[in-house]
Parts: sequence; structure tokens; C-alpha cells
Amino acid sequence: MLNFIKKIQGKKRDLEEKNPRQDAGPDQETRPKPEVPRKILVVGKGETPDVEVMDYAVNLAERLGYDLIALSVNTALGQKGRLFTPYKYHLRKKFAQRARDAGEALRKKAALKGVGLEQVVKCGDLRSAVAEVHRQSKRIEFVITQDGIKEKEVNGDLNIPVFSITGYQGERAMAKDADSRGSGLIGKTVGFGLATAVLYAAVFMNTDTVMQYFTKGAWYAALPIATVFVFSFVHGAFSGYLWEALGIQAPKKVQPRPAAAKRPVARKRPRPELRINT
Amino acid sequence: MQDIAAEAVKFIDLNAINVTFLFIVGFIGGLVSGFIGSGGAFVLTPGMMSLGVPGAVAVASNMCHKFPKAMVGAYKRWKYGQVDIKLGLVMAASAGVGVQVGIMIQEWILKNWGQAGSNLYVSLSFVVILVIVGGYVFYDAYKTAKSGGEEKVTGLAQWLQSINLPPMMHFKTANVRISMWFTIPIGFATGMLAATIAVGGFIGVPGMIYVLGASGLVASATELVIAFVMGFGGSVKWAIGGMVDIRLTLIILAGSLLGVQLGAIGTTYVKEHMIKIVMGTIMLIVAVSRGLAVPKYLTQLGVISLPESTISLMMSASFIIMCIALAVGALIILGSMWKAKRAETAAEGALALEEGH
Repeated sequence: MLNFIKKIQGKKRDLEEKNPRQDAGPDQETRPKPEVPRKILVVGKGETPDVEVMDYAVNLAERLGYDLIALSVNTALGQKGRLFTPYKYHLRKKFAQRARDAGEALRKKAALKGVGLEQVVKCGDLRSAVAEVHRQSKRIEFVITQDGIKEKEVNGDLNIPVFSITGYQGERAMAKDADSRGSGLIGKTVGFGLATAVLYAAVFMNTDTVMQYFTKGAWYAALPIATVFVFSFVHGAFSGYLWEALGIQAPKKVQPRPAAAKRPVARKRPRPELRINT
Repeated sequence: MQDIAAEAVKFIDLNAINVTFLFIVGFIGGLVSGFIGSGGAFVLTPGMMSLGVPGAVAVASNMCHKFPKAMVGAYKRWKYGQVDIKLGLVMAASAGVGVQVGIMIQEWILKNWGQAGSNLYVSLSFVVILVIVGGYVFYDAYKTAKSGGEEKVTGLAQWLQSINLPPMMHFKTANVRISMWFTIPIGFATGMLAATIAVGGFIGVPGMIYVLGASGLVASATELVIAFVMGFGGSVKWAIGGMVDIRLTLIILAGSLLGVQLGAIGTTYVKEHMIKIVMGTIMLIVAVSRGLAVPKYLTQLGVISLPESTISLMMSASFIIMCIALAVGALIILGSMWKAKRAETAAEGALALEEGH
């Protein structure tokens, strides 16, 4: 099995955990113990998990104060038997490269919300890939999979809860990002455009009646005022959507977002460990 | 048209040319006011009058399109976090008083010197205020652009902010803490100018920038709130008199709502001093345009004498230059948006390339 992404972090942690154990005794309570953040494992079959699954996971991790591991598994390029062609090797390299590129963007996105993200790329069947990651990384609390991956495929001998995110629902519920509403924009533009056209037609096909009442003055003054309000809502919405649909919208930088990690201070949750009471 | 209202006021018939003209001027006016907080009205009112719309109807219909436009623009820019609603409302309150005083002065001049005197007063106010304020805005924008685009709070604003004269007010978005007493004259002058030349923003925005110490971005966005409040009040007053030609209003609105949103988006692309550049440029060109109208009114008052043909030539030149002012403003906005967008795309491309390696 080819491991493209080395689990440097995991190894470091292993080393760190081994060392402090040497000095046991009365100062055991105060020894610096690395706090390993709890993690959510996100599993996808593509180069990265689906956008909506990732959004959901990032939001969830932000709320819980967890970190993320994004696992990309290419099930088609697993090694069956002893033969492994150079072509397949080439394909794997390509896959890993693409996955890493995509993963970089994911990491930046997660970092904006203060969520640490680690990416792991594997080839082969899902179950062994998940088992391997679980073995290497500590404190994986649960697994989120994208739609179309069955729980059985992921959870073999392991006993971790697996949740499947179907479509946009999760993302819709948790992330109301302006930039993620791409679809439906055309529909809204056309809808409000038609409504605007209907309003204009209604006024200009009955010009005589409209002008007669709208210029009477006194209390009839409410008519033109109300009309311009209605028009500005409908036509204003239409023109707003129109510019957005044409790709003219404010660059992302104007929506201020927490640039640095802004998450609650991690409370100490000591894990139970064996200690000899002397 | 045989209805009752039409007997009192003549409403024009619409044709394709009229509609197209109003739509386009509406769009460009909207674009400029979405960007600098005001503008467009100074071309629309004389423009409509040149189409044969009576003066009062032109002013009324124009004002009735101005407040929904300002509302949509203010909402859009509020979403970008540029609008200081509190500052806008405080200014609008004193501007309301300013409008009343402005109207009183107008009526007094009209009574004593007639229509020509009133027109002369309007034109002269245009020229004097626009040359002084517009010149300073342009000079400041030029200085900022030369020093690398970093906007500084003026010494005057810093001094006024340091004076502790209760009640002190804190404007969060503008990030200004200043005595209420210093906001009143700015709002008052904005209202008076709005009553005189229909574009209060030419005083309001520079006032907020140089006297109160708000940034160009916040000042121009907040001006939209003032324009909404004042425009709404004015429209109700004109509508009660039955002067609003809703057809004209709606045609202009069709263009200006498209424009105002584009202008608002534009502010997020360009450097902040671009707002000042556009504003200063428009103000100076409009000043030239109004300056050309002065001899006509002087002739009417019998102060100087000029042949009829020269005066009519000057008046057409004045109107054309006014249109040019708006067009130049729109071109600067669109051009700088285009440039900023291209730079952004290039930066994104470079980033993508970098990530690819």
C-alpha cells in the first residue's frame, strides 16, 4: 500500500506520548501532557469529500471544537493480487496530486473557521483505509460519509458511529453562506424578472386609470408611494440577482470573517488512564 | 387625457425616445449615486424638463424615484457593512430642517426677484459650492492617490472629535465619536443644498468625510440613508399635491435600480479614494455647466445684455456638459471596476497556479 501523505503528526504525537511517561511519580499530575484534539473523520470516494459534506463537517467541527481528517479513498485503484501495473501507479500518483491540490483549498476554508484539517489519501477498499486511519490517528469520535457510502463499507471491526450526509440538506441547515447558494440563482432571477415585467405591464397597460387616481393628491398620495415601494422590492431583488447571476458581485473580502482561529478554549477532558497508587 | 388632474398639470405623452432617454439616464444616475451616495438628479430634472415635463412634475417624479433608489442602494451597501445608520438618521433629522429653511429662502428670493432671480441664485450656489467643495475633494483624492491610497482623517475632524461637548455621540460603523452639535450644521447644509440644487450629497458626503472624520466609503453609503429619508418626506409632500407622474418615476426607477446596485458593488472593488475622484470630477464639470447658465439669468435680470443666439447656445452647452459630467463619472466607475476585477481574476489565477505546483 502506498501512503502518499505521511502521518507526521501522528508519529510526533506518539513520540511525545512515550517520553513523558518515563518520569512517573508525584509530579505526574502536573506533567505537560499534549492535548490531542478530538476528531471527525470525513470519508469520500472522490479526490475530496463532496463540498456539502465538507461544509457540514467544518461547521459541526467548529461547533464542537473538534478537528477534521478528510480521507479520500480511490476504491478503483486498489491492489488486487500481486500485479501492479506502471499505468495504475501513474494513475495513483495523478489521483494523489489532484487530491492534495483540492485538499489545500479545503484546509484554507476550514482554517477560516478555526478548524484544523488533515488530509489523507488512500487507494484500496474503504474499510481497510478507515481502519488504518483510525489506528494511526488518536481520538476519532465519529465518521461522516457522503451519500452513497454504506455504513457497512466503512465500519468493519471498528466500533465508531458513522453518519451519512445526503445532498445539500446538511449544508443548508448549518451553513448559510452566501457563496454556496449558486443553484437557484437563475431561477430567482427569472422569477423576479417575470414579476417585474408583470408589474410594469400592469401599470403601463392601464396608464389612463392609473394616472387618474395617482394624481388626485391628498390621501391618494399613498398610491404612488406604495407603488414605488413595491416596485423597488421586486425590481430591486431582480436587479440584485441579475448582477449576481452575471458574475458581478462583491469580492469575498468585504464579508468580514474571523481570520484567525476563534474557537472556545478547549476544556480539559482528561482521559482515563491507569495509575499505580503508591 | 381628459381626467381632472391633467387639466391642472399637463402630463407628457411617452414615446420610445423619451422612454429610452429616461431609462439610460436613470441607469447612469443610479450607478453614480450607488457609488458616491448622490447624483443623477441634477441631470434628470432638467432632462425631463427638456422633454416638455413641467418643472414641478419633473422635480416631483424625480424625487419619487430617488428615495426607493436610495433605499435599495443603502440596503446593498449596508450588507457590505458600509452604512452607519445612526449617523444617517441624525444627519437626516437636521437635514429636514435645512430643507425647510432652503425652501423659505427660495420663496423669499422668488418673491423679490422673480423666476430669473431664483434661477440665478440656484446657479450661483451650484457654481460657488461645487467649485470650492469639488475642488477640495478632487485635490484630496489626488493627494491620496499620490501617497499610495491611504486615507487620512483631516486635522479639522480630529480637532472637532477631541472637543467634549455633550451630548457626545458614538457612530460605530464610521468609527467616530463626536459631539452632536457638530453633526447638525453638516446635516443642515445638506438639507439646504438639497432644497436648492436637488443634490444634497455634494455637501453631505464631503462634510462627513472632512468635518466629521468618516471614511469616504462610509460617508457615501450613509448619504444614501439621508437621501432616502429626505426623498421620502419630499415625495409624500409632492404626491399629496398630485404632482408625481408615476410613469416617469417607474421608467427612471427601472434603470436606476439596476444602476444603484452596480454602483454599490463597485465600491467593494475599487480603492477608497476612487469615490472622491468620481465625486470631485462630477462636481467640477457640473460647476462649469451651471456657470454657463449664469449669463442667461443675468440677462433676464437686466444686469448684462447678450444676443439671444449666444444664450441659447450656452444653455444647450450647459445641458450637454451636465450629461457629460454624469457620463464621465459612470465611465470612471465602470473603468475602475473593470480594472479591479481583472486584477482580482489575475491574482486568483496566480494563486491557483501556485497551488498546482
